[in-house]
Amino acid sequence: MSEEAKQSSSILIWLTALAFLIGMAAIFIYVPTEQMEGAVQRIMYFHIPAAWLAFFSFFIVFICSILFLWKKEREWDIYALASAEIGVIFCSLVLITGPIWARPIWGAWWVWDARLTSTLILWLIYVSYLMLRYQTEAGSMRARFAAVLGIIGFLDIPFIHFSVLWWRTFHPPPKMISPEGLGAGMDTSMVATLMLSLGAFTLLYFVLMGQRIKVEKMKDEVEQLKKDHLYSN
Amino acid sequence: MDNLEYLFAANVFVWGGIFYYLFRIKKYQQSLQNDLNLIKEAIKKGSQSE
Repeated sequence: MSEEAKQSSSILIWLTALAFLIGMAAIFIYVPTEQMEGAVQRIMYFHIPAAWLAFFSFFIVFICSILFLWKKEREWDIYALASAEIGVIFCSLVLITGPIWARPIWGAWWVWDARLTSTLILWLIYVSYLMLRYQTEAGSMRARFAAVLGIIGFLDIPFIHFSVLWWRTFHPPPKMISPEGLGAGMDTSMVATLMLSLGAFTLLYFVLMGQRIKVEKMKDEVEQLKKDHLYSN
Repeated sequence: MDNLEYLFAANVFVWGGIFYYLFRIKKYQQSLQNDLNLIKEAIKKGSQSE
């Protein structure tokens, strides 16, 4: 890693930490408590950004998988894998924080409505993507199968988004992106806090991507050195 | 009505998940760096003995 890359990585990490610090202060001090749900509604500032990050990660998997199938360059395969892993982590957090929020509000941890079920399916698709990556032998065939799965899996995301509009669900319709406008019906301070949290989570994505890509490149370097010097002797 | 225990539990999972993942990546990087150093050393020794 060059000195310049190290420096920009360190700036990004500090910027992310600062964004989270300001975000936490906004969530727990600045933003008013929601009248109907009480303090538990503050889970929204983690739940929605985690969902955004999961969807964004899978979108990157989708793009990188297409580019890999097209250009056959290992670089795109690495980006897709790194993003899929981050996506699964944040999709898991969505599936954990959702029920924790739902229990006191709906009176149930889980309901099999269209939004929740399609999100669970999305999680299962990308968990199988990672299982395919980790449980099969490395090679171009594995990368190609994974790329196809990464593309197909993404098709579930528009379905998740529109599920609350197409069917009657327990899950409320989107508040931030709604036909009435961005953040319509929400207090301005709530919109600002949510945007801040979304920004902090997005920065975190780039931090995690940088670190995860570094792991894959180091793995490649180890394999290459073994192949060139150790196995050949 | 505040249900603070639920808010606390959600925070534990979110931060626990993020820090666990970061910790795992860092640990993996360290182990790969050790492997890299060992291989490079072995190559160096090999080339010196030739």
